[in-house]
Amino acid sequence: MKLLLRRFSSRLHETPYTAEVILETGAKINIDRANVDAVRADLIIDVPEDKVERVAALFREKGVEVRKLVKLIAWDETRCVHCGACISVCPTGVFKFDPSWNISVEEEKCVRCEVCVKACPLGALACVE
Amino acid sequence: MRNKSIEEINEKIVDGSVHVVTADKMSEIVSELGVEEAAKEVDVVTTGTFGPMCSSGVFINFGHADPPIKMKRVWLNDVEAYTGIAAVDAYLGATQPSEDKGAEYGGGYVIEDLVAGKPIEMKAIGYGTDCYPRKEIGTTITLEDLNQAMMLNPRNSSQRYVVATNSTDRTLYTYMGTLLPNYRNANYCGAGALSPLFNDPDFETIGVGTRIFLSGAGGYVIGEGTQHNPVNSFGTLMVAGNLKEMSAEFLKGATFYGYGVTLYVGIGIPIPVLNEGIARKTGISDGDIVTEVLDYGVSRRDRPVLRRVTYEELKSGLIEIEGKEVPTSPLSSFYMASKIAAELKRGLEAGKFLLSLPVERLPTDTVFKPMKQTKELPLVKDVMTREVKTISERASIGDAAKLIMETQITHIPVISKESKLVGIVTAWDISTAVAKRHEDLAEIMTRKVMTADPEEPLELVIRKLEKYNISALPVIDKDRKVIGMITSDEISKLIGKRGKWQWRLRI
Repeated sequence: MKLLLRRFSSRLHETPYTAEVILETGAKINIDRANVDAVRADLIIDVPEDKVERVAALFREKGVEVRKLVKLIAWDETRCVHCGACISVCPTGVFKFDPSWNISVEEEKCVRCEVCVKACPLGALACVE
Repeated sequence: MRNKSIEEINEKIVDGSVHVVTADKMSEIVSELGVEEAAKEVDVVTTGTFGPMCSSGVFINFGHADPPIKMKRVWLNDVEAYTGIAAVDAYLGATQPSEDKGAEYGGGYVIEDLVAGKPIEMKAIGYGTDCYPRKEIGTTITLEDLNQAMMLNPRNSSQRYVVATNSTDRTLYTYMGTLLPNYRNANYCGAGALSPLFNDPDFETIGVGTRIFLSGAGGYVIGEGTQHNPVNSFGTLMVAGNLKEMSAEFLKGATFYGYGVTLYVGIGIPIPVLNEGIARKTGISDGDIVTEVLDYGVSRRDRPVLRRVTYEELKSGLIEIEGKEVPTSPLSSFYMASKIAAELKRGLEAGKFLLSLPVERLPTDTVFKPMKQTKELPLVKDVMTREVKTISERASIGDAAKLIMETQITHIPVISKESKLVGIVTAWDISTAVAKRHEDLAEIMTRKVMTADPEEPLELVIRKLEKYNISALPVIDKDRKVIGMITSDEISKLIGKRGKWQWRLRI
C-alpha cells in the first residue's frame, strides 16, 4: 500500500521521523518519491500491507498528514488509443502491451513521477489525489 | 499464374466469394505457401495505420448568413480556420492551437468534436463589402448544419518514420513525443508490416482515385502527399473523404506536450493481389522494414543517424543504442491499425466496399528537397569574441576577482591543466564566495556549463540563452578547448546592424 505523507511544520524536519517510524514498527518502507520545498514536504512511501495501519497511525502521532493512495494513476480507457507513448518513458514499467497490442496497466508499480501524464498525447493519464 | 483484374475481384466481392486477408497474415501465408500459391489463394490484402498525422484538416462551407458576411477571420471553439478562399468557405487545420487554451485544444480536437456531433461555437469577422455587408457574426453549429465538411489531408499515411532518441542531458518534448535524456528512451511511429505504402512500395495499385478507408468513411487518394519521397521509402499520400460519414472512434485530437496539437487519423487501403509480384510485396514482414534512429538532441535539419533498425526490433520493446539497452515506444497504435485492417476486410467480405483502379499513377522518382534559403544565416563563429580570458581551476578566488576587475568581463571560463573547459565562474559567484568565505575557485565554479559550437547557427544559441536564462556561453572546439565567447551583449549589437544580416531576431 502506498501512503502520501505531507508535513507543513518546518520544525518537524529536524527530527528523523521516518527513521523513527521504521525503527518502532520494523516495517520495510520504500520511499518512492520525495518533494521538499520551502512550504511543505511530500513523501510517497510503499508499506507492507500488514503494517499499514500501525505506520499510518505513528506518522499521524508525529504530526504528519497521512493519506492512503488508492488511485496512483488514473487511466481513461475510453480516451486511450493504445499507442504506447507511455511505455518507454515510465521508469518503473507500469505500462505494457498485451499480445493484441492493448495497453495493460500495473498500477501498483507507479511512483507518481507523472512523466507519462505529459507523454500521453491523448490526455488519457492523470495523477489524482 | 494468370493475372487477375480489379473487375474480376470486384465481381467476387459482390457475390461474396472474395478471399481477403490482413497484411500481417499475408506475410505468414506467403512464407507458408510461397508466392505463387499465395497469389492464387488471396484476392485482396488489407492494410491499416492509425497515428498522429499533422498534415490534416477539413474544408468547411457554413452557408450564408442574413445579412451575408465575407469572412475575414473565423474561429471554431476559439480555434482559427483559414479563410483566404470564398466568403463562407474555410480550412480548419489539425495543428492550429486554440486562442485561449493554447496547445491543450486545437484544430484536431474541433474535428473530433464535430464528428462526435458536439455543438461548436463559431465566431467570425467580415470585411464589410457592398455584396457582403456584415462585419461580425457569432453562432453555434454542429456537423449537420454545415453544407460540406470535406476532410482533405495534404500528407497522410507516411511509408515510414524515423526513430527519435536524445543524447543530451535534458528532456526534450518533440513531435516524436517525450525524449528522456542520455538515450533513456526511443520513440517510433508507423504500422510496420500493416503500413499501406510498404505493401505497395512501387505504387502499382495505390494511385490517384484509389478507394480507401478514411477514419470510418470511404475516401480516396487524390494525389501524392506533400514531401512524397518514394526514392528513399518515404512515400506519402494526399487523401480526401467526407467528414460527415466518419467516426469519432478513428479521429482523435491529441497534444504532443511542448510541440502542439495534432490529429490521430485512421487509414486503411485494400491492395488487390493482381499478380505474383504484388503477392510477394504484400508478404513483407516487420523484419524486412528498416528505418533509422536519429539523435533529436541535435537541433538541425540533418540529424545524426545513430543506427539502422527494423520494425521487428522496435516492436520487441528494446533496442541497443551506443551500447545501451533502450526502451522503445510507438506513437501510432498497432491495436487500432489492426482494427482498421480487420474492419476493411469485413467491409470487402460483406460486399460493401468495392476496389477502384487508379486513374493515374503516383510518381515513384520524386525526392524531398530542403528549403531554398537565400538569406545568409549568421553562425556562432561570425559573432563570437575570439580573445577569451580563461582561468585555471587551481586559481584562487582572489585571482578570479582580480581578472574580472581588470578585464570587465563578467563570465570567465575555467580550464584544466590540459586547457580543457571544466567550468565557468561569474562575478556573481565571486560575491557569493566572498560572503560564504570560500577560497578555492574549484569549490564555487559552475561545472555543468552550457556551450556553443562555432558552426552552430546563432538562432539556436539565442534559444539556449533564452531557455536557460543565461547571458554568456563559451564556444569550444572538439577537444573542449575554449576558442571564443558569445554573449547576449554581442547579439544585441548585432540586432542593431540588422541590415547587414537582413534578418530579424525575436528578442
